[in-house]
Amino acid sequence: MKSLRDLKPGKKGKVAYITGCEDIKQKLYDLGIIPGETVEVLQDAPFGGPIKIKVHDYCLALRKKEASCIMVEEER
Amino acid sequence: MKDIVVALVGNPNVGKSALLNAISGAEVKVGNWPGVTVEKLEATFIYKNYKIHFVDLPGVYSLRNQTAEEKVTIDFLLKEKPDIILNVVDSTNLKRNLYLTVQLLELELPMVIALNIWDEAVEKGIVVDYEKMSKLLCVPVIPTSAKDKTGLNELLDKLIDVYENKKFVQCEHFETQIEEYLKKVINLVSEYQPILLDLFPKRYLAVSLLEGTLNEPITSSLEEKLKQIREEIKSLYKKDIKTVIVEERYGVVLSIYHQTVKKQREDVVDSSITLDKIFLHKYLGIPIFLLLVWIVFEITFKISSPYVEWLDKVLGVVSSWTLSLLDMANTPDMLKSFVAEGVLGGVGFVLVFVPVLFTLYIMIAILEGSGYISRAAFLMDRFFSSVGLSGKSFIPLLLGFGCNVPAVYATKTIENEREKILTTLMIPFMSCGARLTVFAFFVSVFFTSNKGLVIFSLYLIGIGVAVLVAVLLNKFYFKTKSQFFIMELPPYRLPTFKYVINTAWVRVKAFIVEAGTFIFAMSVLVWFLTNIPYGAKKDETILANVSKKVAVIFQPLGFGTWEATASLFSGFVAKEVVLSTMGNIYVGEKIQEEKKETSFTEGIKEIATGFIDANINLVKNFVSIFGFVKKEEEEFDKSLADAIRSAFNPASAYSFLVFLLLYTPCLATVFAIKQELNSYKWMFLSIAINFTAAWIVSFIVYNVVKDFL
Ligand SMILES: Nc1nc2c(ncn2[C@@H]2O[C@H](COP(=O)(O)OP(=O)(O)O)[C@@H](O)[C@H]2O)c(=O)[nH]1
Ligand SMILES: [Mg+2]
Repeated sequence: MKSLRDLKPGKKGKVAYITGCEDIKQKLYDLGIIPGETVEVLQDAPFGGPIKIKVHDYCLALRKKEASCIMVEEER
Repeated sequence: MKDIVVALVGNPNVGKSALLNAISGAEVKVGNWPGVTVEKLEATFIYKNYKIHFVDLPGVYSLRNQTAEEKVTIDFLLKEKPDIILNVVDSTNLKRNLYLTVQLLELELPMVIALNIWDEAVEKGIVVDYEKMSKLLCVPVIPTSAKDKTGLNELLDKLIDVYENKKFVQCEHFETQIEEYLKKVINLVSEYQPILLDLFPKRYLAVSLLEGTLNEPITSSLEEKLKQIREEIKSLYKKDIKTVIVEERYGVVLSIYHQTVKKQREDVVDSSITLDKIFLHKYLGIPIFLLLVWIVFEITFKISSPYVEWLDKVLGVVSSWTLSLLDMANTPDMLKSFVAEGVLGGVGFVLVFVPVLFTLYIMIAILEGSGYISRAAFLMDRFFSSVGLSGKSFIPLLLGFGCNVPAVYATKTIENEREKILTTLMIPFMSCGARLTVFAFFVSVFFTSNKGLVIFSLYLIGIGVAVLVAVLLNKFYFKTKSQFFIMELPPYRLPTFKYVINTAWVRVKAFIVEAGTFIFAMSVLVWFLTNIPYGAKKDETILANVSKKVAVIFQPLGFGTWEATASLFSGFVAKEVVLSTMGNIYVGEKIQEEKKETSFTEGIKEIATGFIDANINLVKNFVSIFGFVKKEEEEFDKSLADAIRSAFNPASAYSFLVFLLLYTPCLATVFAIKQELNSYKWMFLSIAINFTAAWIVSFIVYNVVKDFL
């Protein structure tokens, strides 16, 4: 189990749970980041900026801080 | 004729506005939702003896009542109760889109679903059994494409059909256990607080009460009972109620999705992902972005400037005609001056913004419609998050260096209300082109040996103060603790020509009507201040008298003369008139081209050739964007230079420039702030913040600098 932040670009993971970030948990849910869903890290921005992920059929950008709240089971 | 109110609801970037434009074209009107900075589009369209009134609600991902967009949406749907909800969904991204659909069904309003962007779905080999989807959701579903204009008539027919047969069938699609709990909640409400049943649709009420998100006071006895149910659910499902509801909704969505959507090809290469490999590239992304932004900047200002000049010419001709007419009618001088300078001058002030705003809005529509604007935010986020902004502030702030007015309107692209307010308040500190003409003049008089350095220092002061203001406001006004940044990166799409032109035109129209009347009225007022009593000496007008009283507050800044004060007053109208006012006051004679008589035919000819010239200049400027044509140096009036040299010393001149840089933005900017933030409060605060900042910084600068210069 690791956080989405630690997933390298190109890797996929299955969302296990969301921890911390109580204020954005609902927002993440609304956008489809729910336990059991697969997310893929596609790219990261320069200078430690946000990361780009794919969930369902679309792409989302979030900051590293938010990504660290999403715990995933890495897929191999 | 029957009136039907249709509310367009859907996620952002699914083509709601494009659909509205495709259906009703030029009828679209743009405004603001009351009390918030969210744009409102409306259109009335006559179809088969029905007057259909469309309202484009802001894009939302859920109805959670948290962001400004969600508040506007849920408020409108619950309070205004449109006749029909038109839920626009992106056929290529159904899982997330249907999540909102499932929530909309809870509102128990008649609904029609438009499966928009159908063209792209077909292209990607996504097959949707929309008839089955319609049965599963208990709502009509029509495939549409705002791009190819397909399905629009079917959609309109269906809207009328639903309106006439006003039936709403509620699907109870949650797990039986949960449905039981929802019924239980409704029973409790009718027992403890039955009034709620009149205020809200049943299912929405039950779900929000369970979640505890209802925006309405609840009696303690009801709350007590609800708590018990929540506990029960928690021990049964081992999850809190909010999670349970979200999972129920997704359960419904996924089951419908799997029953109706087939992908013919799994291996389609998504062109958006490929494009992002370039546009969001770790090292190339930012240089590409800066290049694009530079092109946007140049196009906005250079492409429009020939037309601005042409409009100027037209106004000159019109004013000379008017003057000849007034001469023939033996009109008194005062009235002539009022018409020529007050009225026509006012019209001119409004018109000069039209070309620049039109080009700006075209650029914005392209940036937004293509999906690139979100990429800009992604790339610049790192640099702006530290001042509590996101990357979306970059483009408006940059445009500020050209002209503050379009810059303020460019904040349309920022959804977050706090970020939008902060950015808007920072823009007036960006030194615009009009201020540069004044700087250049003063610098050529006082600082001939290091012109560039002095001007550069002014730009830096502006940026520094802007950042400081943002940090202070964030800390003490918004009291923001932590902000989050979760943003969709929509697929790249080619915006249609009609969408771009329509969006731009509709926005320009709103400017002409709203800002136009305001700016016009103010410039008439200014004419009175500067010309009354008529024929009085230049130091006896109302403006001069007021300036003499006010000048004392500029004493500590080194330029406490009434002349300097009056010039600053005139800068409130537009910064570029500071120089001509100074000429007027210091030299005495108006620096003005001679007014020549123009006959009617000559005038027409001048307007026509002017227009051709404008088009030629357009091409020239287009070429010069890429750096081929050189601009001539501007020349300055010699007598004014001498007058300024004796009225200021280097220290007070520099202090004056700092003040001019930072103080109250010009009229048009002030009104743009009011229009864009939809609030007089922020307009006045912006004036106050700028004035205070200008005074303080000039004071410091003057006192530091006066011993050196
Ligand atoms: N291919 C295609 N593009 C569309 C369609 N509808 C809208 N678009 C494009 O999608 C982008 C976003 O549309 P917009 O109306 O701004 O979305 P809104 O945020 O829902 O109002 C624009 O570039 C549109 O031109 C469609 O049916 N097909
Ligand atoms: Mg829209």
